[in-house]
Amino acid sequence: MPTITFSLKDLQQLAGRKISPEQMHELAHYFKGEFQGYNKATDEATVELDDTNLPYLWSVEGMARLLRGVFGAEKGIALLKTTKGPYEIIVDESVKEIRPYIEGFVAKGRKIDEYLLKQLIQLQEKYCDSYGRRREKASIGMYSYRRIKFPLLYKAASPGSVKFPPLGYEREMTLAQIIEQHPKGKEYGKALRNSKAYPILTDSNNQVLSLIPIINSNSLGKLEPGDAEFFFEVTGTDAEATRLATNIFAYALHERGFQIYSSTIRSGGKIKAVPDLTSEKLKISRQDVRNLLGLDLKDAEIRSLLEKARYGFNNYTVEVPPYRADIMHPFDIIEDIAIMYGFDKITPLELESYTTGKKARMVDFVDITREIAIGLGYQELFSQILTSKATLYDRMATPDPGTVEIENPMSENFSAVRTWLLPVLLEMLSKNKHADYPQKVFEQGLVTERKVEKITDHEKIALASCHNNADYTEARQTAEHLMRQLGFEYKITETEHPAFIKGRVAALAINKKTAGFFGEISPEVLANWGLETPVCAVEIDLSELRHY
Amino acid sequence: MQHELDKTIESLHPLERKILPLLEKHRTAAEICKASGLSETEVLRALQWLSSKQLAETSESHTELVWLDTNGEKYAKQGMPERRFLEAAEKHKGLDEIRKAAGLEEDELSICLGMLKKNCAIELKNREVLITPHGKKLLQGPMPAEEFLRRRFPAETGKLGPTQQKALAELRQRKAIVKVTQARQVNVQLTKPGLETLRRGIREGMEEKLTPQMLKTGSWKGKEFRRYDLLSAVPKIYGGKKQHYRRFLEEVRDQFIALGFEEMTGPIVETEFWNMDSLYMPQFHSARDIQDAYYIKEPKYSKELPREIVEKVRQAHERGVGGSKGWRYRFDVQRTHRHVLRTQDTSISPRTLSSPKLKIPGKYFQMVRCFRYDVIDATHLADFNQIGGFVVEEGINFRHLIGLLKLFAEEFAKAEQIKVVPAYFPFTEPSAALYAKHPEMGWIELGGSGIFRPEMTHPLGVKAPVIAWGLGVDRLAMFKLGIKDIRQLFSHDLEFLRNARVI
Repeated sequence: MPTITFSLKDLQQLAGRKISPEQMHELAHYFKGEFQGYNKATDEATVELDDTNLPYLWSVEGMARLLRGVFGAEKGIALLKTTKGPYEIIVDESVKEIRPYIEGFVAKGRKIDEYLLKQLIQLQEKYCDSYGRRREKASIGMYSYRRIKFPLLYKAASPGSVKFPPLGYEREMTLAQIIEQHPKGKEYGKALRNSKAYPILTDSNNQVLSLIPIINSNSLGKLEPGDAEFFFEVTGTDAEATRLATNIFAYALHERGFQIYSSTIRSGGKIKAVPDLTSEKLKISRQDVRNLLGLDLKDAEIRSLLEKARYGFNNYTVEVPPYRADIMHPFDIIEDIAIMYGFDKITPLELESYTTGKKARMVDFVDITREIAIGLGYQELFSQILTSKATLYDRMATPDPGTVEIENPMSENFSAVRTWLLPVLLEMLSKNKHADYPQKVFEQGLVTERKVEKITDHEKIALASCHNNADYTEARQTAEHLMRQLGFEYKITETEHPAFIKGRVAALAINKKTAGFFGEISPEVLANWGLETPVCAVEIDLSELRHY
Repeated sequence: MQHELDKTIESLHPLERKILPLLEKHRTAAEICKASGLSETEVLRALQWLSSKQLAETSESHTELVWLDTNGEKYAKQGMPERRFLEAAEKHKGLDEIRKAAGLEEDELSICLGMLKKNCAIELKNREVLITPHGKKLLQGPMPAEEFLRRRFPAETGKLGPTQQKALAELRQRKAIVKVTQARQVNVQLTKPGLETLRRGIREGMEEKLTPQMLKTGSWKGKEFRRYDLLSAVPKIYGGKKQHYRRFLEEVRDQFIALGFEEMTGPIVETEFWNMDSLYMPQFHSARDIQDAYYIKEPKYSKELPREIVEKVRQAHERGVGGSKGWRYRFDVQRTHRHVLRTQDTSISPRTLSSPKLKIPGKYFQMVRCFRYDVIDATHLADFNQIGGFVVEEGINFRHLIGLLKLFAEEFAKAEQIKVVPAYFPFTEPSAALYAKHPEMGWIELGGSGIFRPEMTHPLGVKAPVIAWGLGVDRLAMFKLGIKDIRQLFSHDLEFLRNARVI
């Protein structure tokens, strides 16, 4: 979720009303945002925006535009009049498979100061990183206009054939060198990982403006405070994301007092003028509004609320502003009606239908086993499910029967899903050697087993008793008590288990199927855990029991 | 007061009964040991009890004891080296001859010389020794040091006379003749109530323990039992107990059951399909990045997805359904089969919604473990519980959603005031966040909610509106359980677990 920082005074000026930090707290809800704070000394306000599909709100200009609607200073679609410019961008066939879309315009009319430049860069970065998927889907470039000779050519070049000095460097580098050596090349080079040729933008003097979407040229691609005319370009692999960025910036700059000059994109035989400010139109109905929101609004109310949200409205045909691409369904528009109406003004309704509550299938059964364990004086544990193979098998001297492992673990300690519970208990006992003995602990919970391709969750219970006289008899008494209380007919059979002392471990069989085991933990395993007190333990697969 | 003393007398332990009368004559623990024949531990224990009952006062004093050391034992038998020196000097003149005759070590010799010269017992000229008359006199009787060595050891230094003190001071400076140790002595004195107890007399024949034998034979009749000291501390025991956080979650479950909700479950290892795609989260969504979800090593892909529903979900993503444009991108069918650890509890809802067992109207909830790629600290866990669910019913709308949130706020946060504000979730429209004013915690964010998008419910075969919600109860749990660090929800600290209040 993007977080943006801006001057509150700037927002006030653009929105045309004084806004206190307290009011900002409330107003941020219109942006699906959370007001994070205000620094009085620097006049900096910070807002976190929830909606990853509404990038126009990641700018102070966009927020102000919506607030002018909320305050009633403006309504309906915001106006943006562009002037037709003589600028042409020719799209070469070679980018078609790599990054086919480009749009651009020239903005003139006022000097850029440091604050505005910072705001533009903030929006550029948030847009490219989040909505633009780290520049893969769309990326933005800004250039000082006066050094560029139109028309521009957008083409793909082989990595070794073209040289230019990238931003921050005086010397010329080939495209391949930039990808390998320049910090931005290292950071964003991934976007070109599947391409044999790299997209570049050149002007009619054959000077390189930019290696797209990595870095601008040091000579042409620098924008500095004091510049009053600049060229703005968006490229992308997604037509809509490319157009959206162009429109968001065109609106923002227009509202900052710039005149927007359109340019012409020539691609194959096609000619297109950009920014393309045609707006999409969707039909909604009063019935839909009533069904979704439960509000019986009059036509005029619906119109007024939508115009507040900066939509156009004409007899239930809604015009979506060209800086929005989040509207997929009429419900998206109806949500904005609710937001402008005010969630706090909507009277709640109670659910009236009768339904019966019910626990999940295993809950009652596992709770009974927990109750029995507690009756035996065991302290319950509730542990993390993620653990490591070292804990599950190495320290338990037990082979891996099939474990779900994480491909991208954050830490080795949390890289596997537990398959049994005894290791969890021993790990816990090993951390509590200072606490009073006897220590009797149990855990009931899910484990996950992997048998070749099949992954299944099992409810298990494990109990461990740690004191000077812990022995097989105690483990068996515990296991048998559990079985008797649960009413299962069971058989005790001899078995071997590498975590237990040979000849002091037995299996619990129900209908000739093993459902658990119990006995004395081997001294080797105790030593692996640094335990100096004997442990006897029981582990039972409750999901196995539940079959009968 | 009288009554209190009687109670005290009745509570006297057999050990206390045995030694109390001895305190009239004996004033130290050592003496009482001897007089009673009890071990030192028993006597000290009894004295401690008596003093806590205020029948006796004990104090400690430290005495200094002097013992013979190795040389001391030798000199006590052979005489002091200076005597042997003088005796040899009567027969020999030369220093070396004297040393040999007296059998003195080099260091013994130099001490002898120093001592004897200081006492004007000899004169030394050109390594020749001459005994003075004073020296001769010394030889006549026992020297002070020798007298000292002949006494009984160990000796209390505090009880030595002035001459002996002086001798000791000199001997202490010499090598390995005496050693001095500190000894602790427990002194005891009867208090007024102690004396009064003895005056009244300690009652004999109080029974210590009720035995099965006494019950069988009836010999308990007419017997009285020693009164216990009821207020002194006893060793702790620890009962079996539910884990604190799980107990809290059980209560939450019961609350949902009482509100008419049915519990759903699902697997820990999910597919991207159920975890994300079926929730209409586009495959390019940032929450699906490698940074946020844990992917499974093996098997990478599931073979158990319902093909028909996958196809409908694909269409919804690519072109939309029910009047939607969809996300308009190429849906990756292989990717939808990719195994992940469940990142959100909501993954269970589409399973239930697409099930033939779905009830309409129906209320459902789940409380399950979820996993995120997160650094673990006081406020983050990689492995945590989430609670959420949905309500499906013909004709319900956003007002019912707010009504439901209000109910949750009252039920779970005891909140009378709520704030419902706009929010964003990829699978709901409209979406809302719930803030509740907890009577003690103040305003807290309690959950998120929304109406499932038709693009999500239609492919699953549900046309009725579905209100989805998720509650964040961990902060409530931490507040209720009085813990500050979220990791304590899964604590492995036995003392913490044993001492956690049952609430």
